[in-house]
Amino acid sequence: MTEEVRTEFHQLMDEVRADLVQMGGMVAEGISAVTAALLAGDIGGADQIIAADDELDLLSIETEEKCVRLLALQQPVAVDLRTILTDLRMISEIERSGDLVTNIAKAVARLHGAELEPRVRGLIDRMRQQAVKLTAMAMDAYAERDAGLASVLNDMDDVLDDLHNEYIVSVFASHELGKIEIQHAVQLAVVGRFYERIGDHAVNVAERVEFLVTGELPEHLGANRARARREQDEM
Amino acid sequence: MTPEEAVMTQESDASVPEVSEPGASRSGEAVGALASPRPRIDVSGAATPEGRADTQTVFHCDDIHVYYGDFLALRNVSLDIAAHEVTAFIGPSGCGKTTFLRCFNRMNELIEGARVEGSINYHGVELYQDEVDPVEVRRRVGMVFQKPNPFPKSIYDNIAYGPRLAGAKRSELDDIVERSLTRAALWDEVRDRLKTSAYGLSGGQQQRLCIARAIAVQPDVVLMDEPCSALDPIATGRIEELIAELKTEYTIIIVTHNMQQAARISDMTAFFSVQANEMGQRTGELVEYAPTSLIFTNPDDPRTEAYITGRVG
Repeated sequence: MTEEVRTEFHQLMDEVRADLVQMGGMVAEGISAVTAALLAGDIGGADQIIAADDELDLLSIETEEKCVRLLALQQPVAVDLRTILTDLRMISEIERSGDLVTNIAKAVARLHGAELEPRVRGLIDRMRQQAVKLTAMAMDAYAERDAGLASVLNDMDDVLDDLHNEYIVSVFASHELGKIEIQHAVQLAVVGRFYERIGDHAVNVAERVEFLVTGELPEHLGANRARARREQDEM
Repeated sequence: MTPEEAVMTQESDASVPEVSEPGASRSGEAVGALASPRPRIDVSGAATPEGRADTQTVFHCDDIHVYYGDFLALRNVSLDIAAHEVTAFIGPSGCGKTTFLRCFNRMNELIEGARVEGSINYHGVELYQDEVDPVEVRRRVGMVFQKPNPFPKSIYDNIAYGPRLAGAKRSELDDIVERSLTRAALWDEVRDRLKTSAYGLSGGQQQRLCIARAIAVQPDVVLMDEPCSALDPIATGRIEELIAELKTEYTIIIVTHNMQQAARISDMTAFFSVQANEMGQRTGELVEYAPTSLIFTNPDDPRTEAYITGRVG
């Protein structure tokens, strides 16, 4: 029914979409792989994960170049403009999540010799599960242009935040009981923070997907407060 | 010949050299034929640059239908045109955007069989009532055409032509010419050759001359029908800058096929589309009218989005 008059333009946009979905997939796989290495104390495996991040960096740069080309040459408007703006933001979010995976991988060597309690191990695995789930859902929402799915991510992220809090308490309880040394406890706490941040990036992606679909920028409480103050000053 | 063809023919006839140029012959005829002893009506509050009424809405259009004979070219258009804004009409060929543009200065009347139904209220005056003098309307609502159409006269006389007809004194003309050419960003380029033929100017200069000619009679509104389609990007850029400057004094309505141009220069954008009935007659209609920034970031109607993103032929 609809006659496409900008085929090449929209094909390149589809390519960018596929690149981003691939990047999201790489991050989700990385979260599981790095968690396995962490729980197994597998330093060699962790090093492979660190090296693999280069691929993600390359893909993110190539994808960004495609976006720049689209903006410069195709004068995108409306949903096309919103898509490319979303793509550009998403590249950073996903690339950043990849860095966090790398950070977890770097902690594996630093945790060498630490004996993790079953409770701590269990919480790490549950954080892994939530981080993968949030990342995958955000990417699904993007791939399917599903604003409804995107809108639930923020609430879902509370689960990961709660797990993170519970995990921190457990890590330091474990230290109190003399099961792990303080530097290992601190390292573990930082690792927990990395999982929690991956969830935040997934939420950011979801907010951008909502913008893509609806044209509405995400509500921001801090910005709303500043706007209210600015309006008051002007009065 | 269908009425649409009649329009086409008129346009192509007008570009035959001996008829001088389209705008020239038309406004010439208009002045001759329509400045009849018809009673003039004051188009109240109307807004010359000096004495502008402090109103926001220049035109209030309600349920406009335009026919060429039996052929319905445009249906059911209602919108307001705001003062000191640039309003752009975009849409595919045949969507009625130029037809609609011509409604604002009763130019459609110059087309055999054309008929406008509905109401266009101009500063509180019903534009399509018999008491309104169309010549006066066209003085207040000027027009710039697609192809630069200077009169076969000197640069000076092109500008002075309208004011002379309107009764400007010889002593005022020099000022009017300088002011108009300055406003149209052409003065510096032509001040030393005002008495030479306008045909010696480049295409972009000729179009700015036509804009200067349009504003020389101190109109309230300037209608522009694809004013840049015959110009190169530099000349186009100049005209676009000029439009941005002119809107402080005038209200501008522009028809353009160039969506990026509409996006760059307009405050409001109206998107027209065309639909064929079961008889195959294609009638234009207004799909969406909204601030330009909204049209090009998040249009409301899927047809607008399909058109501006190139997903529809």
